[in-house]
Amino acid sequence: MTNFFIGITAIAGTFILYRLSKRIYRRKPSPFTMPIFLCTASMVIFLSLTGISYETYMIGGQWIDLFLGPIVVSLAVPLYREIHLIKKYAGAIGIGIFAGSLTGVFTGIAGAKLLGFDDWLIQTVAAKSVTAPIAISITDTAGGNISLIAVFVMLAGVSGAMFGPVILKICRIEHPIAKGLSIGTASHAIGTAKVLEDSEMEGAISALSMTLSAVVVSFLVPIFLLLFITS
Amino acid sequence: MKYFIMILQIGILFLFNFIGQLIQGFFSLSIPGSLIGMLLLFSLLFFKIIPLTWMQAGVDFLLKDIPFFFIPVTIGIIQYLTFFYGKGSLTILLVIVSTFIVIGVSGIVTNFILKKEVKSYD
Repeated sequence: MTNFFIGITAIAGTFILYRLSKRIYRRKPSPFTMPIFLCTASMVIFLSLTGISYETYMIGGQWIDLFLGPIVVSLAVPLYREIHLIKKYAGAIGIGIFAGSLTGVFTGIAGAKLLGFDDWLIQTVAAKSVTAPIAISITDTAGGNISLIAVFVMLAGVSGAMFGPVILKICRIEHPIAKGLSIGTASHAIGTAKVLEDSEMEGAISALSMTLSAVVVSFLVPIFLLLFITS
Repeated sequence: MKYFIMILQIGILFLFNFIGQLIQGFFSLSIPGSLIGMLLLFSLLFFKIIPLTWMQAGVDFLLKDIPFFFIPVTIGIIQYLTFFYGKGSLTILLVIVSTFIVIGVSGIVTNFILKKEVKSYD
């Protein structure tokens, strides 16, 4: 019975905190007021200060986790809605997303290997460019650490949303399709939200790229891990 | 009634996730079951076996608040805070640099192909 109340409190607390951070983000949009960042950071501080363990929090949190899989499934709907864009620019979109996904998985794994990290971290960092629910599934299947990948995903999103526009300028990437695609492939939903502020079409391409790149990455990760981890 | 339909639609998402996991387990694939479920739902939408209107409301309801659902996993970082004090802090740099390279490479490649396509139409 106590577990039941702890669970309800954890879920309600998370939900209220999320609503609050959403409101703050609407008033002061910045990468640091993004609900996922603000909410996580304040909850981590709260749990650390009160000494409540993660296990206790997860009595409720595990119920929220149940939705991660179905959310990945639901991404089929926005993907289907953008089918006209896929058909129109199939070649460029396909090659661009493949190149980006390959680069993300390769630089992540090779970098971790060069820095001398253990296998579990290499298995974790591989999926970092992909939208959180899918990255978590890929990492879980690959044998990495799912809490750490959630943080890496957030980092990839925030850094791309903040500095992506500058990189696009330096590399002289001007075509709106190319701009949306590269941010979506590298920085998933967080980057997409940023791109959407400037242009509806770039946003649609970005959303599409984040979903397609997730599919590509989920095929690439097991292959690359097989090549790089020799155990 | 509206909420009843939405709950039903979200239930269908759970069902596809479950089927995906069964497929993954049965063939012991290294692709997540949820993604298999997504590809399955996408194909059914694509071949018009399932009309979009069957899924729309529930999906939009979930997608609007997608970040909420990965808050608990992200909070899990609390167990690994010490990881970032030491050598682990290098991973932050690694992720950021890799992200920048991905933006550059995918953007340059796509931009190049699109420009070429335009020229070939002239």
